[in-house]
Amino acid sequence: MVVSHSPALAEAAVALALEMVGSTPPTIVIAAGVADGATLATGTDAVRVAAAIDEAASPDGVLVFMDLGSAALSASMALEFRESDCEVRLSAAAFVEGLVAGVVLAAAGAALDEADREAAGAMLAKAAQLGTGGAGGDATSARSASEAYDAVAEATVVNEIGVHARPAALIVARMADFDASVTIADADDPTRSSPAGSLLVLMGLGLAKGTRLRFTATGPDAAAAVEALRAMTADGYGEAP
Amino acid sequence: MTVADTVTIDQLVDWLGRFRSLVVDNQRYLTELDSAIGDADHGSNMARGMNAVAEKLETPETVDALFKTVGMTLVSSVGGASGPLYGTFFLRIGTTAGPVTVLDGSALSAALRAGLAGVVARGKAEPGDKTMLDAMLPALDAFDASLASGADLADASAAAFTAAQAGRDDTEDLVARKGRASYLGERSAGHLDPGATSTVYLFQALAGALGGLPE
Repeated sequence: MVVSHSPALAEAAVALALEMVGSTPPTIVIAAGVADGATLATGTDAVRVAAAIDEAASPDGVLVFMDLGSAALSASMALEFRESDCEVRLSAAAFVEGLVAGVVLAAAGAALDEADREAAGAMLAKAAQLGTGGAGGDATSARSASEAYDAVAEATVVNEIGVHARPAALIVARMADFDASVTIADADDPTRSSPAGSLLVLMGLGLAKGTRLRFTATGPDAAAAVEALRAMTADGYGEAP
Repeated sequence: MTVADTVTIDQLVDWLGRFRSLVVDNQRYLTELDSAIGDADHGSNMARGMNAVAEKLETPETVDALFKTVGMTLVSSVGGASGPLYGTFFLRIGTTAGPVTVLDGSALSAALRAGLAGVVARGKAEPGDKTMLDAMLPALDAFDASLASGADLADASAAAFTAAQAGRDDTEDLVARKGRASYLGERSAGHLDPGATSTVYLFQALAGALGGLPE
């Protein structure tokens, strides 16, 4: 669910996010602009937002992404007007980063909680990449390579531009298939690691071409999960290497 | 209680009509204020909103119905932050006043206070943040103090208008801590707050409708 002052901005942001997911995108509904006679002016309308929440409503819940200013006010007011009764969260995430993360996670079958949390951390990947603090890797670096695991595999990144957004999204989506806790690390610098299900931390690592990745996993599907990652990585995540 | 100490629906409709006129007449000025520290749309947004309200205002039966229409119309036509804020203000006035046709001084005060509380809850602003609250809060304080000292509604509404103007004037030196003006930080000082300015019109209109302005 997307709330924006500008229909053009909302549509472009949604299109960008949808590039990350395949044939099964999550339900996305836009409420953007405010009626001005027969046309739409820049602004937000709580009544339209409420209608959009109702349209998007499902037992899985609704995660609402807002641009700035009155978008958040209109969305909070819309919670009072809506008729649906599923859980609705207003995401505090940056608009574009959060929307992309939320759409990818939702497409991968993540629950509302997880999608909300990952989206809220969406700026971490950018901050980590730019080296301006708040690095996503810090939170997970405690998971050293010596941690006990049930399965391990390695593969080298072959993609020209490394594990960028699209491969990271594919990894997150694929990992949703397995009952396993999987970690991806730089084999030569194990402090650079990320849960395989965390899109933003994964992207934030900036794993470049030639990086040797080590996949470790615990859980019933550990072996299958690391083998899937090894195969995906060796194959260049479906992109021509 | 005398007849002069109550407010009728017709007077409340008159309040809204006067507010609309002030906003429409001053929309360029409001937008100019907003262009200094915001996104240059407060005047056009409020004018669009109040014009939409005027189109919807037939003769409502009760005070709550009147303000529900006003609030919902503003919410879905203003577009900027003032939509949910003024919208909440009027919606709360309506629910607090209830299905009545006349308000006495204390009922009007309670309704306005509920509107103020709604604005605070919605916008999470505090006094001194350079927002509409900085005009609204002193206005209601003056309104209540005036009524408590035995003044009639006309004088109380005049006192509220005067206090709103002083509150608006004080926003000039404030640094914005809410809304888009807050991105400017210290640079937001030296400008009147557009929201506080439109709130002055709200109380100027109320004073006009309640006979608190010299004709």
